[in-house]
Amino acid sequence: MDRKCLLVIGVGVLLRLVLFTAFPSLPTILAQRVEISTPVTSYKRLQEGLYLYTHGVSPYDGGVFHQAPLLLSLFSILPASTISTNLLYILADLSSAVSLIQIASSRVAAITPRHVSPRKDNVWPPWAIAAAFLFNPFSIATCIARPTIVFTNTIVLHSIAAAVQGRRGPAFVSLAMASYLSLYPILLFLPLLMVTYDCSNAASKPSIQTFSIVTTVLFTSVLLIYLKLSHILTGSWEFIASTYGVSLLLPDLTPNVGLWWYFFIEMFDSFRAFFLCLFQLHLFIYVPGTCLRLQKQPLFALTTLVGIISIFKSYPAIGDTALYLSLLAVHNHIFPLMRYTFFLAAAILYATFLGPAFYYLWVYAGSGNANFFYAITLVWSIVNALIVADALYAVLRDEHETERPELIGKDVVQI
Amino acid sequence: MTSFSPRSLQWLPFSPKSLISRLFTTITLFLCLAGSTFADTYDENLLLQPLSGQFLLASFNFKSHGPIQSFNKQLFELFPRSLGQILQYTHTRELHLRFALGRWDSELWGAQPGDGQNAGGTGVELWAWVEAENDIEAEARWTSLNNALSGLFCASLNFIDSTRTIRPVMSFSPTGDFPHMNKTDLFLLHGTLPKEPVCTENLTPFLKLLPCKGKSGISTLLDGHKLFDASFQSMSIDVRPICSPINGHCDIEIQQNIDMVLDISRSLQRKDSPVPRPRDQHELVCDTTKSYASDEYCYPLDNSFDLPWSLSDLFGRSIAGSCPFAVKEPQTPHVCIAAPHDRQVHPTEGTEIFASQDGKQCFILRENQIFDIALPKQEPPTTPLRQEPLLYAERSFTGHGQEHGGVKTVLRNPSLKDSIEVVYLESLPWFMKPYLHTLNARLLPPPLDGDGDVISELYYRPALDRKRGTQLEAKLVIPANSVVIVTYDFEKAVLRYTEYPPDANRGFDVASAIITIPPHRRGSDRRNVPATSIRTTSLLLSLPTPDFSMPYNVIIFTSTIMALAFGSIINLLIRRFVAVDEVQRMDIKGKIMGLIGKVKKTKAE
Repeated sequence: MDRKCLLVIGVGVLLRLVLFTAFPSLPTILAQRVEISTPVTSYKRLQEGLYLYTHGVSPYDGGVFHQAPLLLSLFSILPASTISTNLLYILADLSSAVSLIQIASSRVAAITPRHVSPRKDNVWPPWAIAAAFLFNPFSIATCIARPTIVFTNTIVLHSIAAAVQGRRGPAFVSLAMASYLSLYPILLFLPLLMVTYDCSNAASKPSIQTFSIVTTVLFTSVLLIYLKLSHILTGSWEFIASTYGVSLLLPDLTPNVGLWWYFFIEMFDSFRAFFLCLFQLHLFIYVPGTCLRLQKQPLFALTTLVGIISIFKSYPAIGDTALYLSLLAVHNHIFPLMRYTFFLAAAILYATFLGPAFYYLWVYAGSGNANFFYAITLVWSIVNALIVADALYAVLRDEHETERPELIGKDVVQI
Repeated sequence: MTSFSPRSLQWLPFSPKSLISRLFTTITLFLCLAGSTFADTYDENLLLQPLSGQFLLASFNFKSHGPIQSFNKQLFELFPRSLGQILQYTHTRELHLRFALGRWDSELWGAQPGDGQNAGGTGVELWAWVEAENDIEAEARWTSLNNALSGLFCASLNFIDSTRTIRPVMSFSPTGDFPHMNKTDLFLLHGTLPKEPVCTENLTPFLKLLPCKGKSGISTLLDGHKLFDASFQSMSIDVRPICSPINGHCDIEIQQNIDMVLDISRSLQRKDSPVPRPRDQHELVCDTTKSYASDEYCYPLDNSFDLPWSLSDLFGRSIAGSCPFAVKEPQTPHVCIAAPHDRQVHPTEGTEIFASQDGKQCFILRENQIFDIALPKQEPPTTPLRQEPLLYAERSFTGHGQEHGGVKTVLRNPSLKDSIEVVYLESLPWFMKPYLHTLNARLLPPPLDGDGDVISELYYRPALDRKRGTQLEAKLVIPANSVVIVTYDFEKAVLRYTEYPPDANRGFDVASAIITIPPHRRGSDRRNVPATSIRTTSLLLSLPTPDFSMPYNVIIFTSTIMALAFGSIINLLIRRFVAVDEVQRMDIKGKIMGLIGKVKKTKAE
């Protein structure tokens, strides 16, 4: 880590510290924003769960708290002061930045064993990627509002950082933790496996079959250990239905930036189960497709899946988008190949500014109705989907140009 | 006792086919008539009490009890058969049912009649002790009790489902005696319907339960038009077993109460003209001390004299003689009036005046003799009796917007000497999600020793989405002459569009908080204070609403976005790249695409 990286991290941490201390009411205000806190990540709900837990009432026997039990034990051993909590969240962001620096330094984004990008020399330095994460308004807002998605993001990044260094154990223990905390990172298992296999030490590499089987066993058993630990902590299996059940079945229809909430408010009761299954399966569909097509660049397959999850998961927030954007920044060498950069940047700003305004019109002013905010979530989702698709186009084009260098700069079509 | 026979005959199961059963009936009847110790007794009483601000409280009380043995054998005399069979079928041992409308203004009117034991929260409130072996059985019996009562009282009691049922821990205790019963077999269940509009269709079945069914006795005054025009009205039914501590004989008691507060001036105006209209100027009493007082400007002065009224003025009719079941030896009074002693009271001539007791004047009704009371206009006005309540309670919402909110309850102990212990009970709907960690009880004035811990005991059962509501019970100690402010935050859930009522933007009613003051011995004068309960008003919670008109549009829009995203990503994944000039496209589409490509290229250059 060079001096620039340290400087960026220092400024990022300082910025968060200043925001926490100079505006003491900011965390409370941001924590109530539906764009940042969802029912499965909200800090206020975490406090409620913690209060119930420390007072001997099972927090899972209620409709408010839907977060993993290990978070409860983490926060119950933490000193009950705002400063220590804030420091914990800053520390999480710091760890994310360090992980991103490690990922960027490994240059896996541009150079993999089976693919070397022709643009490998245009990659931004690691400090720029850390800056793209630390100074991203979405990640700053998420850190200040203190939803628990911050921890999931940190752990996912840590897991990727371990994977690009070929350290299988830490990578999958972390991924199991991320899946345990918020379920959807389980979809990243396959691409992470590919990344780890690609980056493993070439000399002692086992066959892909042995590698996958051992990793799967490792991942599953670690996940089971986490679940068993939670069972011991809470004394019952109630938490499964109250955490993963909520993510899967969507009983809480609090608005968020995703597509699910309004769809299932308006859904006819007889079709609810069908569409719930469909929406969940829809997320799984992308896994084999991206992993097969992007097998030469598994890190990008993983990034694409992170992006897809951030759009189509049941309770998305801007924290998920922040994770995707910072991973996308790692692949900055393909940015020149993206086609709609200006349009997408403008549209994402449009949704960012109009979202809170329309939400205010609906919920507080009463001069708009739910369709106002719904329309903005549609824009937000389509913009994010287009970013994912455009980046995917750029990466595929980049890969294609390696195969056929004579087509660089020429127009191509897909058939 | 002879007056009982026609009714008893009418009520007994009667099968004309079999001679044996006829004989059996006759013998039973004979037994019933012969043994006066087994007969049911019935009392009815009307208490009229003028309240401050030209209001009149009319408390009707109907009470009958009979031996529990005959009740268990389904031999109903005065106990209403319809209700009795429901209670037996559902194994309900003690029942309390309340219908209430309006607000008891304790600032103006003082303590509630009967220590608030007969009053319920706005809408319908029901609680019962059901005998069952386990919780599931109790729940099933409770559901069938609700369904049966719903049919009997024409109320939506069948909507008391698991989301509206709670099991209070500290607030309620049985008022009946259960000497032969295992206490663990009795399950207390409590349900509320704050939105229920109580109306005439609930009064009619209520009157049907009375032995005289509103045809004679004080119940002739109960007319739906007048009752539901009152500023506050509450109907209650309480069934409980009571056992004599001496010989262990158990009786089943049914008590029906109606408390209504009539606005005298409005009732009189209704009598003069059914259409509300402003008073003529010559009828107004003006405050001439005002600087602007003149012939043109009048500051109306209320309560400058006691309005003249009679029962027939206020209720639209007078009492049509006594109910035959309520006539007995020794005599008990039927109608009492607790007017200030300097207020004149003129009963109908020839009425027997019962010895007045503790400041009340009481009268006995005669069969087939019309009874009325008239109070003349009196100037200067008299000061009605007012009993200071033990506690003032107010509850309101704080915050704005349809996303979050807060509840603030202000409990004020007016006593200058005695602190009181109260149990505060909230039953909240599941879509109102309170944050217990924000629960705060603040004492005003702040305690000198800095110990601000007002809540001594707390019972909390969090809500489960669509399955059960929140139950919050807190035991608080309120020091003398101080105020406790209880606050907490909550979050409003968004519902599925089918879960909203047709008038979704009106809001959702949140049941009254129930504040119970357990029986205790007062510190200052060593007097025993009976159990008292106070209910706050119900609240109107507005939730964010979706657009109800466009489920299809939303399904289509969202699906389109998903299809678009899916299509563009899968499209990229499964197709391969080739240079534009490598494909032979002779169709129009190809030409257009080529043209667009050229334009793009020139632009890029």
